[in-house]
Amino acid sequence: MLEWIVRGLGAGRVTTRYPRAPEDAPAGFRGSIALLDAGDPPIGLEDICPTGAIRISDGRVRLDRGRCVLCGACVERAPERFAFVARYETAARSRAALVAGGAEDGDVPALRRTLAQRVGALRRSIHVRHVDAGSDGAEEWEIAALQNPYYDVGRLGIFFTAAPRHADVLLVSGGVTPPMRAPLERAFEVMGEPRAVIAAGTDACSGGLAGDGRVAGGVAEVLPVDVFVPGSPPSPIALLHGLLLAVGILEESP
Amino acid sequence: MRGVVEPSPPGELRVRVPLGMLDRGAALLTEHGGRFVTLLVAERPERSLIAVFAARGELVCLRAVLDREARAFPSLSLVLPAALWAERELFERERIEPLGHPALEPILRPDADEIAPWVQGDEAFVLPYGPIRSGVFEAIQFVIDTAGEDVLALRTRPFFKYRGLEQRFEGASPQQGACIAERVAGIASVAHGLAYAHAVERALAIEPPERARWWRVVYAELERIANHLDVAVREAEAAALVVGQARMAILKEDVLRLQARLTGSRFARGMVIPGGVRAEGAVALAALSAEFDRLERQLRRDRRLLLRTTSFTDRLIGSGALDRPTVEAFGGVGPVARGSGISTDARFERPYGAYDRVGFEVITRDDGDAMARVEVRFGEIAESLHLLRQAIDRLARHDGPLWVELPSVAGAALGWAEAPQGELVYWVELDGDQIARTRIASPSLRNWLLFAESFRGDVLTDFAFIEYSFGLTPAGADR
Repeated sequence: MLEWIVRGLGAGRVTTRYPRAPEDAPAGFRGSIALLDAGDPPIGLEDICPTGAIRISDGRVRLDRGRCVLCGACVERAPERFAFVARYETAARSRAALVAGGAEDGDVPALRRTLAQRVGALRRSIHVRHVDAGSDGAEEWEIAALQNPYYDVGRLGIFFTAAPRHADVLLVSGGVTPPMRAPLERAFEVMGEPRAVIAAGTDACSGGLAGDGRVAGGVAEVLPVDVFVPGSPPSPIALLHGLLLAVGILEESP
Repeated sequence: MRGVVEPSPPGELRVRVPLGMLDRGAALLTEHGGRFVTLLVAERPERSLIAVFAARGELVCLRAVLDREARAFPSLSLVLPAALWAERELFERERIEPLGHPALEPILRPDADEIAPWVQGDEAFVLPYGPIRSGVFEAIQFVIDTAGEDVLALRTRPFFKYRGLEQRFEGASPQQGACIAERVAGIASVAHGLAYAHAVERALAIEPPERARWWRVVYAELERIANHLDVAVREAEAAALVVGQARMAILKEDVLRLQARLTGSRFARGMVIPGGVRAEGAVALAALSAEFDRLERQLRRDRRLLLRTTSFTDRLIGSGALDRPTVEAFGGVGPVARGSGISTDARFERPYGAYDRVGFEVITRDDGDAMARVEVRFGEIAESLHLLRQAIDRLARHDGPLWVELPSVAGAALGWAEAPQGELVYWVELDGDQIARTRIASPSLRNWLLFAESFRGDVLTDFAFIEYSFGLTPAGADR
């Protein structure tokens, strides 16, 4: 046991300081897609996207990040309009805010400052319950990573709990398959108020790639979703960003 | 029995048999050391039922033509328990009945609340575990008959996550198909991308360029290391070994971060495409090599410490033991099979990509318990690092193109790859520049059939250790 203690101490500190300090994604990280030019779309532009994330309305391009699985087909076929952005903070408090081409993204550094203050002002800890409603399994790895020493969300007072009755946040991955619908609804029903629901990942935001009409079009078809975290899968920092937005919702509740 | 050998791509042997003889063909292949892989309905060259077996360095396909009236075939499950779930799935999806199947119940639409005990008795009660479990887990349900501590009987209920992804391939371009394959089982994105790409390439009779094959080795072996470390993280967590868990989690995170720097994705998505790879890895080869050295150094110390910690090893030794005949009967693959002394590895038996030009050892253990499976995984991490070094060496010495154009022709073939969970097989039918049909035989589904068999005198508190030692993913099983 002593050896383990020495080993643990010898590793030093690896934990991120996010959200008090920014955490930059490595160059080339496929975190999100930017819409560089929304004007004068050519005919058939929307057909590039396998999940229907690209739409044309009123002669303008709309990019729905809640549907984007980050496959990069648009970046390859229309590089003058679409580009990968190496960013982690992709969560939003409304489904509409994930659609680029309308209002553009808010001031990210300012938002991060707000998040940091929120964590500082946290009056109590937040308990998170995870439910897989039909993910591809990568989301679970990224959610589990939040507890590893690099992210260590316990330092922010965020803990994972086994009991839905003790949970403040329901973190849902997957687009909701039929057999998971009832268990998911039950997990939500037994939670106390106030509570927040996070849709983790593109499948949870919109149903994503899933198949032959079996899967619902995302968690919002089943439960009231407060925070959407797109990504295929969303990175641990993106998930943490989403959790902090959910903390804000809980703090605002009476 | 009379079968007609048909023209087949290399590594595949297609034998046409009458539908009524499928069970006898299967029995014959099994007697000669064949391992059941999957049952699937193909549409090309004509509507057929294909039973796939792995035998002597080839995948043998017993192909029986399905005419309009064909509604049933003799069940293989009677002689081959490995086919139990595959036949139930086939019946539900294709309405073709395996005659004589011992328990032909629906499997694709599980109901979390529909639970009946198997074991009757004063003391016995039934304990449903899942589909939502305490902790961060994928959805799957276990139904445990117990008298308090002993596990009397265990049933595994998959398909809570059945997403119908195989249908999603239909009409997609070969390149779009790669994006779907990577999202069938996210933690084995590269393996799925590879098995799919191999099937497309074999159907079109093309070969990816040499450089692409070496990069594929890099992405696939890093994925394997991350998966095996994930098993170590979970086992250490189950043993309440806090520092051990943290150390393994740090190393796993390091590997995912390296993938992200290399490919832009922590799961190396978007790199493997039919015909080659999309891009060079974005880390200089010398820097990559230094990362491997660092990983190996750290891992060597942590691994030694972990396997010397008795509070860890005591929980694994003797838990969830599987003997070799059981694994063979149920068609087990991957580290589960190798932990029971079966030297099976698709990279070695049916080498694909660059694996016929590298040296590596297939790690096996004979004990068949959770400890054996964990030891196999640690052994494989060392072999993967060895493979990574060989790939880097080749990439440094040779330059060349990364992909070839795909011809627009029709074709159908199997493709395979050794995923971290075991042998993964794709069947892909192409119609010009569209995917017409895809079927996936995942290692997770096949190994989960074995999970219940591994409880022989084990108690409830062993459950987590045994489950994690299998290292499976419900997403991959359910598709």
